[in-house]
Amino acid sequence: MTLNRVPRIVAVFALVFLLQEALINRISFFIGGFSLYLAFFIVWVMQEERSSAVVSGFIAGFIADFSPTLEAPFGLWSFVYTVVAYVIANNVRSALDADMSPVTISLVTVFGSFSASIMFLISGAILGQEVGSAGYVLRELFGNSLWTLLLSPLYGPLAIKLYRATLTARSR
Amino acid sequence: MPARGSNRTRLLWISLLVTSLFLITLDLRGVSIISSIRSGAQTILAPFQKAGSAVISPLGNLFEDVSNLGRTQSKIDALKEENEKLKSQLILNENVVGELKQLKGTLDLAGSARFKVVAARVITRGGTATFGETIVIDQGSRAGIKRDMTVIATSGLVGVVKSTTANSSVVLLMSDPSFRVGVRVAGTQDMGILSGGGDNRFSIQMLSATGQINVGDVLLSRGSSGDRPFVPGVPVGRVSFVESTAGQLTKEGRVEGFVDLDGLGVVSVVLDATAGDPGDALVPRAPKPAPTVTVFVTPKPTPSE
Repeated sequence: MTLNRVPRIVAVFALVFLLQEALINRISFFIGGFSLYLAFFIVWVMQEERSSAVVSGFIAGFIADFSPTLEAPFGLWSFVYTVVAYVIANNVRSALDADMSPVTISLVTVFGSFSASIMFLISGAILGQEVGSAGYVLRELFGNSLWTLLLSPLYGPLAIKLYRATLTARSR
Repeated sequence: MPARGSNRTRLLWISLLVTSLFLITLDLRGVSIISSIRSGAQTILAPFQKAGSAVISPLGNLFEDVSNLGRTQSKIDALKEENEKLKSQLILNENVVGELKQLKGTLDLAGSARFKVVAARVITRGGTATFGETIVIDQGSRAGIKRDMTVIATSGLVGVVKSTTANSSVVLLMSDPSFRVGVRVAGTQDMGILSGGGDNRFSIQMLSATGQINVGDVLLSRGSSGDRPFVPGVPVGRVSFVESTAGQLTKEGRVEGFVDLDGLGVVSVVLDATAGDPGDALVPRAPKPAPTVTVFVTPKPTPSE
């Protein structure tokens, strides 16, 4: 990964973060909520090669940590995103075909988003964060997975297009 | 060669993980720069959130409206272009009327307690998939709002101010799993601790073995030293279930909150409660039963033939 890509990656994730904080969070969903930022990140990482995925993961997590409404300690999302990025790039991506079908992308995104949320919850609990009732946690996890799956035809192609736009001539 | 590349990636990964853990440690140790980073981010985000709120607010409950779409579909089809304009205007008006209603209710509540408040609009909610319950309001330190001030709405307690910037504040909702508030039972004055559980249902634990709660009891905030974070006497919720487990030292139960935390549009931050504890004055009145219509029927004597 070239250093030239870093400002582009930061700009794209900052834009999606802004969209999440200013618009998506305001929408009242049926069940739970929808984290466009997390879903977008998973699709993005699926396109990346290993070292770039890890750096993108840290950058995305670092930006997510800026959320002023977040109760968790600063750095927790950086940790979770970096781990998820490594696992997807190292294990999931190598197990799948290079040209993934939209269905595969959607399913991996749901799985990745679910796993990241669980990891955030567990790491937060270890660090002393309060975890809600089991019903609340399940509703949030289920809701987020549901919307991640249903809305994947909208954000999936967008994430892939933006990813390609950030590639330098050398990366291509 | 691939092994070398793989090792390099692993080294990079471990370095980034260590950096993350370093950031977490700094935050947990209370390094001020970390908290000011989030405060700075809120200052930058606030104008975007306000703009986003203006766009989304009429569509905020989109999914609830969709469920009624089938019923009105035939009407919508029949409407012409000019009617569409009127309809969109109507949606905006309904939103404004809804907000005014909430504001009136909130100010009525604050007025009854003689609290000095500042009204604010909810501009966004906290991030999803973070298992936290927060909102962002469009008033901040310029309006006199400080950290740990009580936030109320039409029917009672909403939460507490977590952080402020010049023009916005983050409010920790009472539904957040980390939320705790000291409460007393209206009437008996028995005291307990109410905890958030993620939704609009809360749990209560009484403080003393003699403390009693019954289904239907109204709970009011007990108040804190210097009225921060909680002013006294604000309605919190109504007991909906009392656990009766043998060997239990103190009574426990479940509580339904008075405020619909999902439908918040306007809230008020209590700046000052110098008028003192309003006691039980803010306990919501029970709805008046509709008068029963009594019909007296006087049997007519059947005419004798």
